[in-house]
Amino acid sequence: MTATVQPQQPVAQPSESPNWRVWLRKFRKNYTVRVVAQGLLTIWAVTTFTFFIIRLMPGNPLDIKIDQLQRQQGIGYQEARARAASLFGFNPDKPAGEQYVEYIGKMLHGDLGLSITSPGVKVTDEIIQFLPWTLFSVGLGLLVSFILGVGLGLLMAYWRGGILDNVVTIISSILYGIPDFVIPLLLIIIVGIQWGWFSPGAMRGGVDPSIPVGLTFEYIGSIFKFALLPVVTYVLSSVGGWVLTMKSSTLSTLGEDYINVAKARGLSERRILTGYVGRNALLPLVTRLAISIGFVVGGSVIVEELFQYPGIGRNLLRAINARDYTTMQGMFLVITIAVVVSNVLADLLFGVLDPRVRLGGEEEA
Amino acid sequence: MGFSTVATPTGLIIGLIIGLIPLGIAIYYRKWWAGILGYIACVLSGFACGFIGGIPMMIMATAVVFSYAYINRQDPFTSLAKLEEVNFKETNREFLVRQLATFGDSIRATGRMLIRNKSGFIGFVGVMFFIIVSVFGPLVVPYEGQPQFSRRQPGATSLFQGPSPQFPLGLDWQGRSVLSHIVNGGQTLIITSVVAGLLATVIAVLFGSLAGLLGGIIDQILSAISNFILTIPQTPLLLVLAGLLSLNNNFLLAVLFALLNWPALMRAIRAQVLSLRERDYVEAARALDLGTWHIISREVFPNMISYIAVNLIFSIRAAMYNLVLLVILGLVPLKEPDWGIMIYMGRQQGALFNPSASAMLMAPIIAIALFQLCLVLFSRSLEEIFNPRLRSGV
Repeated sequence: MTATVQPQQPVAQPSESPNWRVWLRKFRKNYTVRVVAQGLLTIWAVTTFTFFIIRLMPGNPLDIKIDQLQRQQGIGYQEARARAASLFGFNPDKPAGEQYVEYIGKMLHGDLGLSITSPGVKVTDEIIQFLPWTLFSVGLGLLVSFILGVGLGLLMAYWRGGILDNVVTIISSILYGIPDFVIPLLLIIIVGIQWGWFSPGAMRGGVDPSIPVGLTFEYIGSIFKFALLPVVTYVLSSVGGWVLTMKSSTLSTLGEDYINVAKARGLSERRILTGYVGRNALLPLVTRLAISIGFVVGGSVIVEELFQYPGIGRNLLRAINARDYTTMQGMFLVITIAVVVSNVLADLLFGVLDPRVRLGGEEEA
Repeated sequence: MGFSTVATPTGLIIGLIIGLIPLGIAIYYRKWWAGILGYIACVLSGFACGFIGGIPMMIMATAVVFSYAYINRQDPFTSLAKLEEVNFKETNREFLVRQLATFGDSIRATGRMLIRNKSGFIGFVGVMFFIIVSVFGPLVVPYEGQPQFSRRQPGATSLFQGPSPQFPLGLDWQGRSVLSHIVNGGQTLIITSVVAGLLATVIAVLFGSLAGLLGGIIDQILSAISNFILTIPQTPLLLVLAGLLSLNNNFLLAVLFALLNWPALMRAIRAQVLSLRERDYVEAARALDLGTWHIISREVFPNMISYIAVNLIFSIRAAMYNLVLLVILGLVPLKEPDWGIMIYMGRQQGALFNPSASAMLMAPIIAIALFQLCLVLFSRSLEEIFNPRLRSGV
């Protein structure tokens, strides 16, 4: 996206103002630039936040580790401190500013340090091992629930007051209302244990370990089979929100003048529904999609823990419980960055889809 | 931690005494039903929370009684009095009575709207049910904290036992009645969530109105902070913070939840303040030079109160979700009895995979799910009541 031209008020070009200044102003007012800058700023802020919380907080992890090493191995303070420092991958004797620069430098190189609980393993390797599982299951779940929710919501709004509307509204209100960790618990207890449709013990993990790894039909089928429970959970826990939002969004679109015009022109119902109502009603949902990515990735912690799915959420929890601070920090940063990036993408997409946002932002700035 | 309300005899006496005030006024004005209902409400809330619950309820009941009895003589339109007969100089007492009557009228109007909306009323009744059970239930079903291994069934390998007439919700892994844990386990959860919700709302309203009214650099800083908190995925942040801080104090947990919860409402309040500032009636009030305080208290605040109420419920719900989540994941060591602890311990003791132990896990799960659902229904109906555009739609 390039800087858009403003037809009403052409940028005044006073003779004394150099050309680069005008360009700078245009650059600052550009929607894309602002969105991306805000995303980068957030990532930087989160990185700084984790830096401070790990190092400078009273009773911080480093002090705890030093204390623990002293007690467990009977070594002196200096030695324990040096060992703890090497474990955490930084030198606590340096001034905070220098440490910070070093830390940011490492982050920029993608170096997240070594895991504390499993020595010698790089945090980045751990993340690379676990992240695809989460992205796969969350992405699939979100996609299914989005399509399902948008379709149902559109039809419900169109046939307002019908049987479909009433039944689905009640079901989605319930699904929307109950907390998401209830769904995996109910799945295990009712469907798995009481009805015996699946064995929760056998469905642990990401793939059947007896099947050899490879691009075989069997292996991929097993991946999908093991992802089924988390995906069903994600779909059930988020579809209610999609249905209700899409319905109210469609309802407000149906009241617009251009729909009446389309009807007056005698366009077919189908054409109106897809071309006029659906497209416009979908707009507000795009930003919600990005926000919900964050929600679902966050919510994946309990889902993965309950189903023992080898994703990043479950391992974040493991790192927190084991007080493995470097792993925890790395995983938290990666989750945050993923969410921020998806937010930025959604904002950009929204700007493309709805020019009002883009132009409105320019006027404001 | 200090906050827990148990129905106490002292509270009952407080309620019985406090309730006499609306009752007496009602008898004076001969509004029998209003008086009796007000008396019951005062006794119940006094019984539940002593002065903290009794006095607000007393004021509300008195206001409602006044609103039934009071005819507004100051208003020439409703009292049909001739303009020259109206005495615009009211004494302090008359002023107080008029204010109370107006307040009572708005309480009655809210109640009417609440009853009119079906799902909202169900939500309201559900929320009240859980609160009443949590507050008065312990009087009926005492808490069983000690292991009861004697309840092991003959020939049974574990203590888990399904529902039976004697133990309606079954037994847990130590042979304790699940019902007693359900009845006694909601209180800490509810109070912590309410405190967190109130804190979040106070922070949000304060910052939101500051940002909206003052604008400039303060607005930018507050907006940036709220954006920052909103962008970070909440659950991982919560888990990391809870893990690092290892909080075991309910009040500090409530503060943590509040700190994570305020930004959404703050942004909404800010937008609301910004748009209200431009409204015609606010302009008119400003043009009439009615003063900042009048504008805030009479023109701006009443238009936001519904909004704040809805969001208060949402923050309470979010705090409850967060607390239960942390407990289930074993990141905060809370004391029994607690619904979340029941699920956590059930998982630890293998109840998840034990077919006969399903009832023990299902009870707290259903309690939490129902409570959250009722809160959503209630808040959705509030939204509907106060937002006329939604009324016809959803």
